[in-house]
Amino acid sequence: MRNRRARLILTLLLLTAFSLITLDFRSGALSGVRRAASTIFGPIEGVVSDVVHPIGSFFSSLGHLNSYKHENSSLRQHVAQLQSQLRLTQREQNELAQEQSLLHLAGLAQYKIVAARVVAYGGALGFESTVTIDRGSANGIAMNETVISGGGLVGRVVTVGRNTSTVLLANDSKFSAGARLSANNPAIGSVAGGGRGQPLTLTLFDNTVQLTVGEQLVTFGDRPAGPFVPEVPIGRITAVTPANGQLGETATVRPFVDLSSLDVVAVVVRAPKSIKHDSLLPKSPSPAPTVTVTVTATPGSGPRSSSTPAGITSGTGTPHSGPTSSTTP
Amino acid sequence: MTGQRIVLRVVLVITACLAQVGIINRMRLPGGGPDLLLLIVVAIGLVAGPQRGAIFGFGAGLTADVFPPADHLAGQLAFAYTVVGYLAGLIDTGEDTSVFTTIVMVAAGSVGVVLLYAGLGGIVGDGRITASATLHAVVGTVAYDVVLAPLVVPLVSTVARRLEPVGSR
Repeated sequence: MRNRRARLILTLLLLTAFSLITLDFRSGALSGVRRAASTIFGPIEGVVSDVVHPIGSFFSSLGHLNSYKHENSSLRQHVAQLQSQLRLTQREQNELAQEQSLLHLAGLAQYKIVAARVVAYGGALGFESTVTIDRGSANGIAMNETVISGGGLVGRVVTVGRNTSTVLLANDSKFSAGARLSANNPAIGSVAGGGRGQPLTLTLFDNTVQLTVGEQLVTFGDRPAGPFVPEVPIGRITAVTPANGQLGETATVRPFVDLSSLDVVAVVVRAPKSIKHDSLLPKSPSPAPTVTVTVTATPGSGPRSSSTPAGITSGTGTPHSGPTSSTTP
Repeated sequence: MTGQRIVLRVVLVITACLAQVGIINRMRLPGGGPDLLLLIVVAIGLVAGPQRGAIFGFGAGLTADVFPPADHLAGQLAFAYTVVGYLAGLIDTGEDTSVFTTIVMVAAGSVGVVLLYAGLGGIVGDGRITASATLHAVVGTVAYDVVLAPLVVPLVSTVARRLEPVGSR
């Protein structure tokens, strides 16, 4: 009797789950639920992130309190203090560098951006590549907007809660964007993610064009058809597969941004009508492409670029205080 | 007692989801990572029997389906965890579950959850579901889950058993 009831309940639950899948697939009926979940749970993720992130420096500062009483404590404390200071400033410097290169990129392109911090990482058993950022509709973020970091393309916004949003990263298999080859090769194609830890794939729309290793890609800016602002650097071609009677050549693309360790990112909330072609690509490409190559912001260039008329709504220094400044031209 | 039990389960699910997206996924472990919710669904199933195990699995899965930054169809994880919760509940363990039983159930559950999730995604044409991605997910999830099982499952079971009504199985 009990077993029969359990089986009945199992059947009902499985039917419900399957109906939900169908409903969500057909009409996206549950995107409202996802938005609500983002509004409710997003801020808690922000708190967890604040606790987890600086845990290292917390322990080191506890350490130097204990050595207070001893004879040579003052010296030791001084050393410990300096060390923890060094550690803190290293993290701060890291973030500052990321913010500076972000500002540099946004300034060059005259994007209006909302800066945000990554607070949680998606997984779903390893199939999806998404993150939560600590800015939402209250900060002016809308669906499908392009997300960048100092190096270039990060992804696009797929769910917007009140104070947090979900970003689909460029290496998620569900992600695709119109891409244009830079330099003297005007070919266009589509770049798609290949899953977590995998490179991106470029498929050309034109089968007469030859691709070469080392070429760089930017977003095509397919505003009417797709969500992306133009000219955002995507990555560099690392391998080319010849077209075998297919649409066009395909190539493996290594993204400029290290998508496995994101911290400070920005959502482009408005882009100018036109951007000079290739103006945002990293200068002097090196033969052995690494992620660090892309960060070309020199110490002097950060402040200068922030004075260009790129409206920045930045709150990265104080994660939960909301936008602190807004300088629109 | 019932109220307490429900509160405990809600807290368990939300804590597991938060730890998953806020801590475990952040660490970017090589090869994959543990699925905390699976361990908890197995633990509750072992304690509470097939009926409550299935209901708990459904609730836990649905929460994970919409928990930010999730971006897949709602119901995929709910379906998979419902099956696992039910099957874990069918194992008649009496008072205590041996470590061996726990590990076998967790290993089977991990494989099952990944395959069910991938299968449902495959039906609706989810581009993320490929043979290699599924294989990666199976290997990565099972390995970490089996390592964590002897720690997490008994802990959750012990706490949950205190609040379970007598003869609920």
